[in-house]
Amino acid sequence: MSLAEFLSGINQLLGTGIPMALFSILSAVIVLLLFAMPVGGFCTYLERKVAADFQERIGPNRVGPIGLLQFFADGIKMFLKEDSISKNADRWIYNFAPSLVMAGSFGAFAAVPFSAYIIGADLDIGVFYAMALGSLVSLGVLLGAWSSDNKWSLIGGMRGAAQIVSYEIPLGLSVLSIITVCGSMSLHQLVAQQAWPTPGGEGHFWNVFHNPFLFVNFFIYFTAALAECNRTPFDLPEAESELVSGFNTEFSGMRFGLYALSEFADVILFACIATAIFLGGWHVPFFNLQSLDIGLSVGELDLNPLVQSVLMIGVFLFKVSVLVFVVMWLRWTLPRLRVDQLMNLCWKYLIPISFFNLIGAAVWTWAFGGRSLLQLLGQVLGVS
Amino acid sequence: MAVSDLFVAFCFLLGGAAAFFTAFHPNILYAAISLIGSLVAVAGLYGALGADFLAAAQLIIYVGGILIVILFAVMMSEDIYKRRFFEGAKKYFLPALAAAITFAGLVKITLSADWSGATKPDFEPTSRAMGWALVGPYALVFQYVVVVLLSGLIGAVIIARPALKMKKIDEDLERLGED
Repeated sequence: MSLAEFLSGINQLLGTGIPMALFSILSAVIVLLLFAMPVGGFCTYLERKVAADFQERIGPNRVGPIGLLQFFADGIKMFLKEDSISKNADRWIYNFAPSLVMAGSFGAFAAVPFSAYIIGADLDIGVFYAMALGSLVSLGVLLGAWSSDNKWSLIGGMRGAAQIVSYEIPLGLSVLSIITVCGSMSLHQLVAQQAWPTPGGEGHFWNVFHNPFLFVNFFIYFTAALAECNRTPFDLPEAESELVSGFNTEFSGMRFGLYALSEFADVILFACIATAIFLGGWHVPFFNLQSLDIGLSVGELDLNPLVQSVLMIGVFLFKVSVLVFVVMWLRWTLPRLRVDQLMNLCWKYLIPISFFNLIGAAVWTWAFGGRSLLQLLGQVLGVS
Repeated sequence: MAVSDLFVAFCFLLGGAAAFFTAFHPNILYAAISLIGSLVAVAGLYGALGADFLAAAQLIIYVGGILIVILFAVMMSEDIYKRRFFEGAKKYFLPALAAAITFAGLVKITLSADWSGATKPDFEPTSRAMGWALVGPYALVFQYVVVVLLSGLIGAVIIARPALKMKKIDEDLERLGED
């Protein structure tokens, strides 16, 4: 069930005659304003806190309890800052570029399955759609960098575009091996297949433990995703120590805010997709949340989906936050790569390995009829 | 008038306007950037016609790949603000002729086609059917494309191999020294 259908279901229950199209728009706004933006903002706070922990500092602690409202203060500051444009900048492109990045990283949230019942749009091509929208980001980075008429920006932007275009290949290949194994691109179905295996059931547990090839592919996906989001150790496009601030050097105020926010939104998005396709989405070991029955209902309305949804969203967001924490952990642990090392890693290591894994996963699926390690183990032990 | 009709109309407008800018904007950079509009609009039309996979492929290949390469090329060229895309009227003539002939052909095909069997598509997933088609009736074409891509990749590797080129230059220099 998509979010729009969920909302219009509530609408029917309340008996108001608002058209479905409005709910489609509303669900987009909900995903954007109630999830992506605040969580992206919260991540800026988290990043500082994690950085502070790693450097044995306290970090933001003045605004609100333990500095929790820091990102509101940052946001207000961003809005109130002067929006300066350098004299020789190309105004049209300069104004247009941040919105492209924004569209690329926030639009993809529509396909993220937060629970079995709540998904912005249950697209048949979910993963592919998310990756396709992600390609707008590289365009926005390149155009923004070029239009600001600044050498640092331009170098950063060129690096960014080259990096994103390169790392899209291992990323796509590791996703492709998942598609080969599961036979679907719909994120909803991919998650549904990763239930705890029961006798006669469809589930084959988390894809990351499906077979050795997918296990390696998870790390390839994660590495490539880090590069796609321009995160350390792949933050060459922004490399503070050499390029001031990289492609967004000249941007100020909310335009810079959009770049910063969509960087975090990108991190969360890739964590969400990694969770959905590799780490089983909202599935937990030993138990299928969807079979949970609390036997409560209010009139006609069955409360089970609601309770399940809350639990599922909790599990999903827990996995996402663990991944996001790992991303931040890496940032304060690893040094930055050089450009040649970056390209070497992608073209000489990640791409051949992911090609090998793709073939390996295909052979595994063919040889064992799509069964996972766990299912095979169950068969050997005579459990299922 | 459903929302999807509005969306199709919007895509037509966006695509048309962007195509106009691409063809007639004097600055080559803006012409290239206007391509975003027409490529995205085509993706939108694919989506509205129920070809979801094609729409995403259009975005990922054209906007994410080809357009970026075009922009790289444009940004690397010199003085793109001073140079004007069209300098003389004679440069209008041949492209206009080619465009007019193509357009006439497209109109003729559109008018002569039998549209009686065409219905408004309901949004059925296309990826499964496309996958089967690629390994079934179109397997040969698919393999042919694969071979073309492979040869392209090999060509790129050969061009980009610095060691070979440097060795040859060294040999050439040595031979010059001997002479």
